[in-house]
Parts: sequence; C-alpha cells; structure tokens
Amino acid sequence: MAGPLDGVRVFDLTLWMVGPWASMQLGALGADVIHIEQPGVDPRTLGAGVPPAINGTSIGYITWNMNKRGLFLDLKSPSDRQTAYELLQTCDVFMINMRPGAAERMGVGYEQVAAVNPNIVYTAITGWGEVGPMHDKPGADVQCQYFTGFWSVSGKRDGRPEVYRHFTQMDASTGNVAAQAVLMGLLARKRTGRGQRIHVGMLRAGMALQSGRIAEFLATGIQHQPLGSAGFAAAPDQAFRCQGGDWIGVAATSETEWLRLCEALQASEAESLSDLASDPRFATNLDRVAHRDELAAILQRAFAQRPRQYWMLRLSAADVPCGYPISFESLQHHAQAIENGYLREVTTSGWGDVWTGGPPWELSRTPARWLGTPLPGEHTGDILDELTQRTASTLAEQPTPIVGD
Amino acid sequence: MPGPLDGYRIVEIAEGVAGPYTAMSLGDAGADVIKIESPSGDRARAWAPQTASGTSALFQALNRNKRGLALDWSAERDLEVARRLLTSADVAIVDKFGLPDALRWESLNAPGLVYCVMSGFGPSGPWSDRPGSELAAQLASEATASLGVIGDEPVRHGGDIGSMYAANYAIQAICAALYARDESEPTAPSGGQRIEVSLFGSLLAMRSTLWVALSNPDEWWGFHLDSYVKPPDHGYQCRDLPIYFSLARIRGDAFESLIDALDMAWARTHPDFDRLRTDGAGGAGRYAAELKPLWERGFTNFDAAHVIEIVEQHGGWAFPMHDYERLSQDPQVEAVGALVDVEQADGSALRQVAPPWDFERTPASIRRPAPRLGEHQQEVLSQILRSI
Repeated sequence: MAGPLDGVRVFDLTLWMVGPWASMQLGALGADVIHIEQPGVDPRTLGAGVPPAINGTSIGYITWNMNKRGLFLDLKSPSDRQTAYELLQTCDVFMINMRPGAAERMGVGYEQVAAVNPNIVYTAITGWGEVGPMHDKPGADVQCQYFTGFWSVSGKRDGRPEVYRHFTQMDASTGNVAAQAVLMGLLARKRTGRGQRIHVGMLRAGMALQSGRIAEFLATGIQHQPLGSAGFAAAPDQAFRCQGGDWIGVAATSETEWLRLCEALQASEAESLSDLASDPRFATNLDRVAHRDELAAILQRAFAQRPRQYWMLRLSAADVPCGYPISFESLQHHAQAIENGYLREVTTSGWGDVWTGGPPWELSRTPARWLGTPLPGEHTGDILDELTQRTASTLAEQPTPIVGD
Repeated sequence: MPGPLDGYRIVEIAEGVAGPYTAMSLGDAGADVIKIESPSGDRARAWAPQTASGTSALFQALNRNKRGLALDWSAERDLEVARRLLTSADVAIVDKFGLPDALRWESLNAPGLVYCVMSGFGPSGPWSDRPGSELAAQLASEATASLGVIGDEPVRHGGDIGSMYAANYAIQAICAALYARDESEPTAPSGGQRIEVSLFGSLLAMRSTLWVALSNPDEWWGFHLDSYVKPPDHGYQCRDLPIYFSLARIRGDAFESLIDALDMAWARTHPDFDRLRTDGAGGAGRYAAELKPLWERGFTNFDAAHVIEIVEQHGGWAFPMHDYERLSQDPQVEAVGALVDVEQADGSALRQVAPPWDFERTPASIRRPAPRLGEHQQEVLSQILRSI
C-alpha cells in the first residue's frame, strides 16, 4: 500500500538540516522527493560538514536526506535552469531554506516558479524570519536554542539553567513545522485549486515549541527555575532513587493518578506512608506543587526501600505512569523501540547500514516508509529520462509545440 | 480569508499537552475544533502556574480556537453524543488511556474519519498498555542524556518536548491522511484511517542524528558523539549576562584583532592559545568546553551587548541568551509577530505564541480563547447534533 502522499512530487532545493528534515518527512509519507545538489559538490561540505563523518560524508547529510531521490542541477547554468523549470512543471511542492533573496537570484523565487507552475505549494524556510533587524543573520539550531530561552527551563535543581546538548532539536522542530505547512498548503490547494507561497522561520517555530512555558511567563511573570527531573505543572512528577541506586521517574499529573499512586505506595507497605491521600498539604495538585519538597522527601524515603524493578511492576499494575533512563545500546534491542519501528537500521547508498529513527507515525491504511539515503545526484539519469519521456509524450499529444519565453 | 483547514471538523478527547496542542494547531489553521472533557475537566486545568483569574496558564495557551463540551462516560446518553460527534467529524484526536471502548476506532463505523491516537509508548510492544508521561518518555528515549551529568539525578528538558514533538508529528500525519482521503463525495468522504503517535517514538525520531552518528563513524568526535560526556553548558558568561558565541569564520588577522579588542593579549602566552585560534568554539568546537574559561576571562570584562558587537565586527557569530522576559521584549520577536494577544471572555487579553506558519493566501487565525468547562454544551448539542 502506498503512503498518503503517493503521487505528490517535491522539488527539494534545501541544504543543511532544517529544509532537508522537512522534505524527508514528506518522503516518508510517500511523496517523490527530488533532492537537488550542485554537480561536483565536495562531499565534505554536505550536511554543513558537521562531524562525525561516515566514509567522509557528514552524518548530517546521511541522516537528513533519507526517503529521497538525488538529482544534480546547477541553477547558475542556463540549460540546467531550463531543466529545473521543466521539472517544476511536474512538481506539487517547492522547498528552499536559504537566506531571504537567495531564491530570486537563482531564478527560483516564488514569482518565477509560479510563472511555470501557478499551482505550486512554495515553501521558504528562514532562520530569524523574512523581516526585522535580524532577518539576514545566520540562523542555526544552537543560536536559536540560546536565543529563544529553550535553555532557560532545564538544569539541576538550584543550579544555573543549561542548554540541551543535542543541537538538532530546533532544526528538526522547524523542519517538522515546515512539513506541516506544506501539508496544509496541499490541503488548501485540494479545496481551492490554488497554490501559494508559504514561509516558516526557526525563531517562530522554536517559540511555538515552547508555547506552554512562554505563555505561562507572559500570563504570570513566572520564569521557571530548573527543578532537575521534576516538572513545573504537577507534583509528584520527578525521578526518585530506588533501593540499589537506580532511578525511576514517577508522574501523577491528575487526581486519579495521584490516588492510584497513594494506593500503590500504601500496598507496598513501605514505611512512613500512612495517610498521604488524606494529608491536607497534598489535597490538590496546587497544594502538592506548593509543598513539592516535603512530598518528594516522603516519597523518596519510600522508593529507597524497594528496588526499581519492584516499583516498575507495582506502579505499572496500578496504571501510574513511570519509566527509567535507557541508553541507545539498550534501546537498539528494546522491544518497545523495535516492535514499533521507532528505531531501525536502513541501507544507504555509500555509507553502509546505519541506525536511525523510523516513522514516528503509524497509519493503518496508507503506511509510511523509511528508506536509506541516496548519493548526491544518484538518480539524475532516471529523473531526466522521466522528464524527457514526459516532454515527448506531451509534444506528441499537442500538434503545435509550446514555445517557452 | 479562511485558513488552510477551513471546513474540517475536529473532535478532541485528550488532556495535558500533546493532544490539545495538536487540536489547537489544526484550529489555528482554520478547522472547527470541539473539545470534549470529562465533568472534572482536562487535567491541565489544575496545573500550575495559575493566572490571576484562577485558570491554568498552560491550559489557556493550548486550547484556544476550541468549543468546549463536558461529557460523562458513565452516562449512556453522553456516550451516544460523543459517538455521533466522532462519526460525523473529519478528524478525531484521542488519548489512548481513559477512552471508553465504545469510542475506539474499531467500535466506530466511520469510513471517512481520520482517527489519531496519542499515547506514551506506541501501539505495539510490551509497554503499549502502560500510560505514559512526559518524564517517562524523556527518560526512556535517553533525551535526559543531553542534560546534567552522567550518574547524577536525571535532568529533564523543562519544555514538555516529548509531548510537543508528538503533537508536531501528529499534525503531519493527520494532514497527510486528510490529503489521502477520497473527498469526491463531500458529505460522505471515504478512505479514513487510524493513526498512532507516541511521545516515546517522537523523541526517538528527533534524536535520529545521534543514532546515525553512533552507527560507524570515521572518527570519534563531534558533538553528536561527545555531547553525552560534555559538562552542562550555561553559555559564555559576560559581565551581566551569558551569550552564545562562535568563531565561525574568524581566522588569521581578524582573530588577532579580536583578541586585542577583547583585551585578551594575555591569552597569546597561554599554552592553549593554538587551540583557541583554531577551535570553532560555541556548540561545534571540539574543545569548546575546555576553552570556555579562557573566553569567559575575557568576556567578563564587558557587558553581553558589547561582546556581541565586537564578535560580529570580526565576522563571528554571537547572540544574546534570552530568558522568556528578554525574549518577549526582543525587537526581532516583535518584528516577526511571534506573540499575539488573545482576547479572553472577560475582555482582558492574554499574550501567547502565534501560530508558526505564514500562508500568503490562507492565513492562520485566532478566533476564540480557551473554553470554560462545558461552555458550549448547548450550542454544540443543539446546532451540530441536529444537523447530523
């Protein structure tokens, strides 16, 4: 069964991470994503050259260009630009993530693309936006993490806030938002018959990712200070040390879960837990948040009396959300990751088999796919042949050839 | 002008962050969203912090553009109302846990419905029957390995990232499934399907770059590999505030001039000076953590704004490290319209983050604040159910 975007074709003029990540999602959902690279591109510059590399190519390029076909086109060359316009006539979506103005200089601004394909869903992705004092500054994940306050709510309790040390979260989130925008643009076109220009910027996408925390600050003036493993909204919702030293994360974010937790703790016969559910300090969530340290101290004493395995079984049986830290080498063999296809090995063209995340969605009728990465330009011959055949059949149907301007 | 999802009706039976944000986004994009809560309400209504008017700020921020209904699953009539709302909708967004069997995909005869199930851990596997949480998902996906110190108490990301990532993916899958639907008979679409999205799977997908890096790299360095063992990163401290800083393209004479402009001539005799000159600094530098104290010794003589100016003059990258107060006052945030005032029922306004997409022809819009519990009971029951 084909994916939900079967029949949709994407002209993917993206580079580095944000744009490629966006078009990769569309490819996973079944679209024919044609990823453009400059002929003769130095493989060491692909994926911004982010280390480490596999066989000399950045893992960035390898990770962010799965589910696509590779095409070489030099948009500075008049003949390749003509090919690009012919190809664009067969495409539903155009995607680019370069600084404002770059597309126009390459002949693929919205007006230029719409002139050859008025129904195109044209999506431009920028860092800081298309206007404002910072619009022409370079925008990448790490800058955006620092700028948008993404760092400001995490860290050790009573310590300084710290940055999330995996600098792809803003890029990928913006890419995901851009993929949403393309899909919404396709839905609007389905209804109205018209394409349009769409823009997504990392600054706003990165802030949207923090909708809750930012709105909380704006509504209350409260800038949360880091609480280690604990959440701000509810209590208890944090990690505790079990007997033997293992950590368990336990969350009771509704009254129902709180009462279940109280019951399960009482049934464990751990000491000092007699009347948690009736203790007025812990009557409502807001009471528990106000007394979170007292509550955590009581719970910590209880969790320290039994090993983690005991608590995982006991709390899971009581439907209290719980979990524990798992590292990649365990996740590679963990049934929950593997049976859902969330982690998998895929075969790439040129870099062997690599582990990656699989489709994060399961679609019952039109399943998604996850395919390995092409070499830059790998499918140039195939794609140009398809284009020639299409042009030939179009010409055969029409007695008078169309003269391009 | 109507939004891109104008004409679609969404029914949400979800709580907390992931499901409500998914539904709100579709509402921001123009869909008609009906939120069904239990008589005690979405758990997020009771979360901290609360606004002056006694509602949860988070709930207000994740539930605009919705009409609200309260239904009691122990009442047969209420179940029937929900069933009819679901079978006549285009999209259902439901939490896997707490949902009555009568309202599951398998129980509904709704061939055109796009039915999205949100869960902690996904539809298959040994944990599929366990309720999830933001913390459990962050721990299980090793998201917490990018914060704190190995062996210490795990540090979560404080931004509900697992729930928000799941929401972002759910929005994609729902839109793709709507696209794949056959809508040639507008009153009786066909080709709906069930979608499953989880916090765990979404967090794992968002760390894919790490999984590839850990596969068989040519050499064992780069932040995708050593971020696990790097110390906590608090930015580069200046006299007043921390900043982000990277040498970017600063090389040769420009580097020497930068050292002088920062009054760092003392660094030239430091044993690490060669590394200081060649390392990228910032997040990408191989020795960024080791060299940070040298840069900070220079930076702490100046205010952040001044250091940013000096670094930029020399061709490097430097950005302020905002908390939410400084972010909300930044001219760039104002210029791109990242924040909007949402008028509340009492006429007051709450500032929130704007929808992140710019559609030239079909703009997103904010049309109503979050509903009070059961606020639109009569309106929905009389208008919608009568027309079905």
